[in-house]
Amino acid sequence: MPALRGFLWLLGFLLLGETLVTLTCLPVSAGVVGLLLLTAWLRLHGGGLADIAAAAQPLIAVLALLIMPGVVGAFFILDALEGQWTAILAALIGGTLLSVLTTLWLMRRLMGAPDENASP
Amino acid sequence: MTALLDHLLTTPILAIALTLAAHVAGARLLKALGAPAWCPSILAAALLLAGVLALLSIDYADYRRGAAWLMLLLGPATVALGLPLHQQMPRIIALWRPLLACLPVAVILAAAYAVGIAWWLGAPPETLAALAPKSVTAPIALGINAQIGGPVSLMMGGLLITGVAAVIFVSLVARLLGIRDERIIGLALGLNGHAIGTVRAFEIGPVAGAFASLGMSLTGILSALFLPLAWRLLGA
Repeated sequence: MPALRGFLWLLGFLLLGETLVTLTCLPVSAGVVGLLLLTAWLRLHGGGLADIAAAAQPLIAVLALLIMPGVVGAFFILDALEGQWTAILAALIGGTLLSVLTTLWLMRRLMGAPDENASP
Repeated sequence: MTALLDHLLTTPILAIALTLAAHVAGARLLKALGAPAWCPSILAAALLLAGVLALLSIDYADYRRGAAWLMLLLGPATVALGLPLHQQMPRIIALWRPLLACLPVAVILAAAYAVGIAWWLGAPPETLAALAPKSVTAPIALGINAQIGGPVSLMMGGLLITGVAAVIFVSLVARLLGIRDERIIGLALGLNGHAIGTVRAFEIGPVAGAFASLGMSLTGILSALFLPLAWRLLGA
């Protein structure tokens, strides 16, 4: 039962996100707005935390399963590259390598000493 | 055989069963291989699934129609990421200054590197537009795509390749730079590799997962605000 009550909480925040996105016409997804609303709710009020955890933890655990249908699509889009595949792959893979390098380097500089409690 | 397959594909059950089977088999396979850090379990599972679809000659569009039932849960699952974000809030607040300085730069660079390389190699403007939201989570990227243009299939493909590449590169580069801080690795995964990176971050640990959720949602929101504006300013 707690998991079902928690799932209802999640659906409620998703619908609230969808409503806000529709009303403001922002190109942001309902899920991400719902995520931020849930975080704000838990921070400010904290109601239903145990129920939300009962639904959220199993859902997060199967997140890999839920995105798999989309990931498989990557193997079926080679036709869509329309003969410019060198430029596209170089941009995606090279660009990602460069931005990963920059992000890690920048964050290490800015964050300073590693968090002692970081490993659970 | 084809008639039977067509019949089985009339309900989403087969697509869901294949996805679950690939998920379980991928996890087993990786465990047997000693879980190498450069190969995320999602990649192994997706490769297996793609192989099975090709072997049974199931059209990807048919598979995806059935699997849409599974993907429907992505909405509530995205909202659920608010829970780890809340649980790690003290750690995040303690870092608000470096996060505020780092995130906008990293978000702009994630798009600028790819667009720059593609432009330098002579890709046309529509292709550049399709590549720009490459580090943004799919639902937000679709919204950005509607504003700046470019072929949708190419954009979606770019997202997927970026996600997988980000997972591989973050583990390689972090080892190269000697970074073991879960907060930095998680943030880099969410920022560059959207949902695929976030899934990988939760495999590393709850702290990495929470920072990846933060990176993914803020990248999505900042890109949604910044990319359409930048596109208009550049006159592309």
